[in-house]
Amino acid sequence: MRRQFRDTIMDLAEQDDRIVMILGDVSVYLFNDFKEKYADRFYNMGICENTLISVTAGLSSQGFFPFVHSIAPFITERSFEQIKLDMCYNQFGGNIVSCGASFDYAWDGATHHCYTDLAILRTLPGMEVIQPGSRKEVDILIRSQYRNGKPTYFRLSDHPHDIDIPVEFGKGVLLKDSGSEVTVMTAGPLLGNVVEACRDLNVNLVYFNTIKPIDKEMIIRFRDTKILVVHDAFGLYEAVGEVPGLDASYHGLPDEFCSWYGTLNDIRKHIGLDAASIREVVQHAIVGPAK
Amino acid sequence: MIPVCKEIRQDILRIAKDSGHGHIPTCFSVIEILYAVYDTIKHDPRNPSWEDRDIFVLSKGHAALGYYCVLARFGYFDIDKVYSFGAFMSDYGGHADRIKLPGVEVSAGSLGHGIGVSVGQALGLKINKSSRRVIALIGDGESNEGSVWEAVMVAVNLKLDNLTIIYDNNMSHTRGLQIYNPDERFRAFGGDVAVINGHDMDSLKKEINAKADNVRVIVANTKKGFGCRTLIDNQYEWHRKSPNDEEFKKLMAELDEETI
Repeated sequence: MRRQFRDTIMDLAEQDDRIVMILGDVSVYLFNDFKEKYADRFYNMGICENTLISVTAGLSSQGFFPFVHSIAPFITERSFEQIKLDMCYNQFGGNIVSCGASFDYAWDGATHHCYTDLAILRTLPGMEVIQPGSRKEVDILIRSQYRNGKPTYFRLSDHPHDIDIPVEFGKGVLLKDSGSEVTVMTAGPLLGNVVEACRDLNVNLVYFNTIKPIDKEMIIRFRDTKILVVHDAFGLYEAVGEVPGLDASYHGLPDEFCSWYGTLNDIRKHIGLDAASIREVVQHAIVGPAK
Repeated sequence: MIPVCKEIRQDILRIAKDSGHGHIPTCFSVIEILYAVYDTIKHDPRNPSWEDRDIFVLSKGHAALGYYCVLARFGYFDIDKVYSFGAFMSDYGGHADRIKLPGVEVSAGSLGHGIGVSVGQALGLKINKSSRRVIALIGDGESNEGSVWEAVMVAVNLKLDNLTIIYDNNMSHTRGLQIYNPDERFRAFGGDVAVINGHDMDSLKKEINAKADNVRVIVANTKKGFGCRTLIDNQYEWHRKSPNDEEFKKLMAELDEETI
């Protein structure tokens, strides 16, 4: 997805001289071409995430469409107040693009994991929160949102799903409507595991690329079913819960640090987010007490 | 004290008394600075979003009442409106809101934010090859925040010679984390530093106008509560306080006599 981010930006920058890249000393090699071609609009500003966000807000105030890029926990959790005040409260837009997602940096340990970003950013007035799951989603969603003047968060992962689905900002996608009493909802790259888990099960399956604004109409369609949110982060379950009166439950992060190193797949398996574990949870929901 | 700055301080005391809200001492430390800035930079109160204007950012946002009184003095709005200071639905809150008020470039309050935004603004002007400039006013207490020093490092690294940081050295820092010799610290960070009396209008204007090869830092030595002995002697008590009738009379008399 990072390469797609680079390709999309390179393409956009050709027509749009208001795009400015700000890197937190991350993915620098990826943007070599951008740096060469648009030297006055490329800044590897350093490892100072608070200031990266403040500078993004300042650039936006002067009519630019900045993209600030660093690792998810540092650019969101560490800089939450800068995003809240300098961007959202001041109504200075800009694009925050993170890498690392929940467990791309599995072997680095819990300092580099990030699963609260979507949840905390969706609480901020005016913020758009996007979790693309594939390269196609990265491309379409960046193009559609980057110059709308709003603070927009794109959470990238190096482990996309490979399912080709229609992409539109703020729109959930109904991947499977089985008329079932159970609806599985998910977002982002985990879709690959969820689709594999549910392939032959009698469930409805809904996918989101946008956590805020959440597609409430899509959720309301399934309000009379038992909803199971399967997600490798916080944020989607809380967003789904904006629709009142749901029978919804969450299968995802445990209430502990995932400090076991290894790979993304090791951690997913350990916390029950590999396809087989998800399948068990979904099967349990199907045979459990129906609404 | 030049007469207009005394009158602005009188406005502050009247509004603080009427509204019941304070932050008077920190406002009194920056009046000459604010007045000098607006008397020096390019701006147009009749057209606050004039595209050739210079940008001023009050990063130490709690000096808002002083800021409003100076903006009113320059014609951005009528001083009568500022008497709603801090009231429900007022446009004139304890920290200025750029969405509500003409002339306010950045809404600040949480310390250590405005300066970072001003770095982005100065960078934007550089990219645009604009001759406009950015001035950020920060406090010494504010400079306890690490984000201030991050922003200074980034600004110096970007060689933002269109950015001037004015450091209100009103000795707030002595309460907690102390920052002695701020000029040496800013110099060590690569800034082009001048140290002046922050209540001296001529020095302020001269330094605000001065050119530099990199980020300009003006360490303005000031006194919290400048003009009133009581505010200086009882700094802690008066940090957020509003005067009652008796205290108001006393402060106005002290200001009149310029007891400090």
